[in-house]
Amino acid sequence: MTATQSLLAALLAPLLSAALITFFFRRRGVIASTISVVAAAAIFIFSLFAIREMGTGSVVASWDWLTFGNFNVSMGFFFDGTAATMLTMVAFVGFLIHVFSLGYMADDKARARFFGGLSIFMFSMLGIILADNLIMIFVFWELVGFSSYMLIGHYLDTEEAAAASKKAFIVNRIGDLGFLVGIVYAYWHFGTTNISEMHGIVAANADLVNAVIAACLMCGFIGKSAQFPLHVWLPDAMAGPTPVSALIHAATMVAAGVYFLIRIAFLFPESVLGGIGILGTSVAVYAGFCAYGQNDIKKILAYSTLSQLGYMAAAFGLGFPGIALFHLITHAFFKALLFLGAGSIIHGCHHEQDIFKMGGIFKKMPITSITFVLGVLALCGVYGFSGFYSKDAILIAAGLDGTLLFFLLTGGAFLTAGYMGRLVWIVFFGKPKSDAASHAHESGFTMLLPLIVLAVLSVTGGWLQFWPEQLGHIIHLDEVKLHNAAGYADKHHLVLILGSAAWIVGLLGSLLFYGKGATEDQLEKRAAPVYGFLKDRLWFDEIYGYYVAKIQQRFAGLLSVLDVFVIKGVLVRGSAGLVGLIGMCSKSQHVGSIHGYVYWFLAGLIFFWVVATGVLKAF
Amino acid sequence: MGHYDTTSLFLLAAILAPLIAGVILLFGGRFHINTLRAIGAFGFGWPLIIGLMLYSLFEPSLVGDYNFEMRMPTGLESIGIYLHLGLNGISMPLFLLAGTVGFAAGLYAMYSNAERLHLYLALLLFMLGGLMGTFASVDIFFFYFFHEFALIPTFIMIGIWGGAGRRSAAIEMTIYLTLGALLSLLGLIALYVQSGVDSFSLLELRQYLLAQPLSETVQNNIFALLLFGFGILVSLFPFHSWAPKGYAVAPSGAAMLHAGVLKKFGLYGLLQISAPLLPAGAAHWFPWIVGLALCNILFIGLVTMAQKDLKMMLGYSSVMHMGYAFLGIATFSIVGVGGALLMMVAHGLSVALLFMLSTCIYHRSQTFDLSKMGGLATKAPVLAAFFVAATMASIGLPGFGNFWGEFTIFAALAEVEKTRWIVAPAAIGIIISAIYGLRAVANIFFGQPKEEFEAQLNGGTIEDLKGFEKLPAGILIAALVIVGIFPRILSDDANRELAEIYPTVDTLPHHEVSAIPSKETHKEVSH
Repeated sequence: MTATQSLLAALLAPLLSAALITFFFRRRGVIASTISVVAAAAIFIFSLFAIREMGTGSVVASWDWLTFGNFNVSMGFFFDGTAATMLTMVAFVGFLIHVFSLGYMADDKARARFFGGLSIFMFSMLGIILADNLIMIFVFWELVGFSSYMLIGHYLDTEEAAAASKKAFIVNRIGDLGFLVGIVYAYWHFGTTNISEMHGIVAANADLVNAVIAACLMCGFIGKSAQFPLHVWLPDAMAGPTPVSALIHAATMVAAGVYFLIRIAFLFPESVLGGIGILGTSVAVYAGFCAYGQNDIKKILAYSTLSQLGYMAAAFGLGFPGIALFHLITHAFFKALLFLGAGSIIHGCHHEQDIFKMGGIFKKMPITSITFVLGVLALCGVYGFSGFYSKDAILIAAGLDGTLLFFLLTGGAFLTAGYMGRLVWIVFFGKPKSDAASHAHESGFTMLLPLIVLAVLSVTGGWLQFWPEQLGHIIHLDEVKLHNAAGYADKHHLVLILGSAAWIVGLLGSLLFYGKGATEDQLEKRAAPVYGFLKDRLWFDEIYGYYVAKIQQRFAGLLSVLDVFVIKGVLVRGSAGLVGLIGMCSKSQHVGSIHGYVYWFLAGLIFFWVVATGVLKAF
Repeated sequence: MGHYDTTSLFLLAAILAPLIAGVILLFGGRFHINTLRAIGAFGFGWPLIIGLMLYSLFEPSLVGDYNFEMRMPTGLESIGIYLHLGLNGISMPLFLLAGTVGFAAGLYAMYSNAERLHLYLALLLFMLGGLMGTFASVDIFFFYFFHEFALIPTFIMIGIWGGAGRRSAAIEMTIYLTLGALLSLLGLIALYVQSGVDSFSLLELRQYLLAQPLSETVQNNIFALLLFGFGILVSLFPFHSWAPKGYAVAPSGAAMLHAGVLKKFGLYGLLQISAPLLPAGAAHWFPWIVGLALCNILFIGLVTMAQKDLKMMLGYSSVMHMGYAFLGIATFSIVGVGGALLMMVAHGLSVALLFMLSTCIYHRSQTFDLSKMGGLATKAPVLAAFFVAATMASIGLPGFGNFWGEFTIFAALAEVEKTRWIVAPAAIGIIISAIYGLRAVANIFFGQPKEEFEAQLNGGTIEDLKGFEKLPAGILIAALVIVGIFPRILSDDANRELAEIYPTVDTLPHHEVSAIPSKETHKEVSH
């Protein structure tokens, strides 16, 4: 099998699975889930084939898709080290989450729809990873949006899921508007949207880098990776089943925005990069604060995801796309682990999601708890864990750049440890605070196995020296670049001290403040205004809600009224009325009575007299 | 006298079969239902079969000329009117569209419970015959004649089988559309007279007018007649007010064929006749088309968002999407017109599907009021799946044909500096359509049912989509997906044809540095 064939097989396996499920196994949950898991395994195997065939080079293949005049769209693969790294992660984490779902979704009535949706998602995600041009990325970009819509709306008889799925799709579309404009501008600017061709053009003539195009393309990233001001959809997306939150809204899809930036990093001028750096940093800090105001275990993790995506964006903005990719990969491991762990807890606690109704989980669900805590340590950047290496590199990069971003991002690390500590102490320790929690039971094998594998990866995933040589090339490049930068040694020690301080202070501080197995939020009790402020998340949802309901919808209503009354009423009916009026006038000449004709005759006579005598001219 | 060959006789048969079946059904009041359906199946199915057959026989080398050409005398040779039929790369997609939508609409109608079914089917068949004729005509007299022939049954069908308020809607639609048709007829006659070529043949007119273009003033005036005449037929802003109400009350078969296919007549006229023959006129009216088309997209888009009635919403959304097609044609480039053509085909399929599914929903909910439904997906998951797919198609999700239409039009707008700014406002439409589309899906299918609807939903009388509903819906979805995944099956021939009649824009600023995309279809490099 050539590399191209392997990639095609990997891409088409989930599509085939989705088609089979849709057409034949809609009501056969067991068969549908088996097909979907087999497809996920096939993706991973074919990906390994492709990477082996690829060696250390890259694979390029292209087919014509649509041609009109000068406009030429192709679909194709551009499979290099970056794509291979991302593909390995997505295929592997995706497979584990499929396995986890076997257990988690075992009682669901609509299991076939769920697994069909997962397969469509894997297909779309692979498309983004492999695509060799912007238009193809956009196609699959929209398709992941659709599969995300479908999976968020899985529990479709709840109002929450109905609203959240709609919101996610529409907010993403707002970002896609900019993305789309950027693509069509880029097409005529470069004469192509092929990634490697554009790279060649920019390399030959750096003046062709265009800030407007870069800013437009960045909008796509803002929507998909839920960055400010389009971040509002991600917490709501937690209405979907937990494996979906783990796969789509933590490990892969939301990270696709960052991956996309990394692929087209050469298109970004300094100005736009600086903007992305500031944007990412502020989201990292903002989301960290928001997490303190949440009681739903999944929403805490969702804000944590937002915050970590901010770190990736910051790394990219600082000019280190390789470091961003590194953090993307390590984050995928530990965040998938945390979400699946949360899923295991929710499953064990009979769908209880409020952390203040849990407590004492450690004794009831030891394996879930240990793996979860390992994930927390990785997220907090404890020395030796995967999250340490990538976060360390980001902080050093920020430190080399300047003081503001450095302190904000370091502060973000303190925040992270704090809210994760809050979650851990409240959920795992103390006494159970609800019937659901006291009857919690450890999950089955299909759910524990992915947790264990991901826990191992969360610990070891950052040890770059053990990565296969085909993967992580640009990570190495950026690491080397970082090492050789002036002032590296000083910053390295500073970050080591501050980073360790962050997780120690955060975890211990939260223990002291919240206490083990607390029944209520200490922050809410002691400083209600502060808690309320964090809970309201700067009122973004309220502002958008107000805009949609009170401004947009009213404006639409006003236009609708205008349409009915002015265009249909006055203009159309009015012109019909005018014709009717003329008709009435001319009809009155033919009344059929001799009197009438006499008057018309007299009127005519007077008219001619007036004309003939020239009285009319006097006016 | 006439000249034809075997394949062109098939083309003629595609027009005559529905007409003959229609005439038989007119007298079919006492036929058994199965006889009615058999005759209907012949009349509705034949054009699609022939369309597919002719597509497979299509000879791409005849660019600039017509495939399957035939010319029959009609007794009007003295003024240059022949029954002149043929297909080229531009009309072929629309011919297939008419066949596909006609078959789906016919299938659905045959199993509907309409009163006087034989008459209903007969009128639909007449409409279909007219539609096939319109897109197969090379002679612009017959192009117009067939359109009128298809239009008249629409009015009758709305008048007889329409919903509440059908009388006023039918009258408004009749007057309005007749006015539009009249204006375009004036324009076509003016073209004939001004050219002085004594022929209604599009081929001869084109050859002549390319050699001796009309003066700019004459072009401007004729183009105006055609633009506004055709524009009324395609619901160009502000001449759209007939459409939403008209479609809202129309029986589903008529709405499917009219909104799906017949409406495309005006756009087809603009891109096949007006723009290529009157380039100066097109350039003169360019700002007008852009302005009005943007109103279609933004103004009508927002109006669509305010609708509470499902069918009114669909009617307005179809008006909105026509704005994209107008923008594509306004660019006067191969890319833009090609995009408009794909848009026309895909929109025709998706809007017909949506109108059909809205009737399926009505049969289950007894209402079109979006605020009075909810939760239907639990009882009718297949219907929900079809409706979501159709909505996704119409809001331009990749994988369905509509995406290529919209995307290519945006690309065409960005091609030259002059129109580049239009991309941003026009693309706002993708957000607007997502909002109203998903809102409708959520209101009808997701969440909890509203009070009155809950009793009905739990009453156990609501069934999922039945076979006779699944088949036509499946055909339309399949067609949308095929165009979405393999747009080249339509675009390659159209591209060749458009290159003949539209100028190429060669304005790539960095042409010299850009690597020319390789012509190899499949290359693999490992280095």
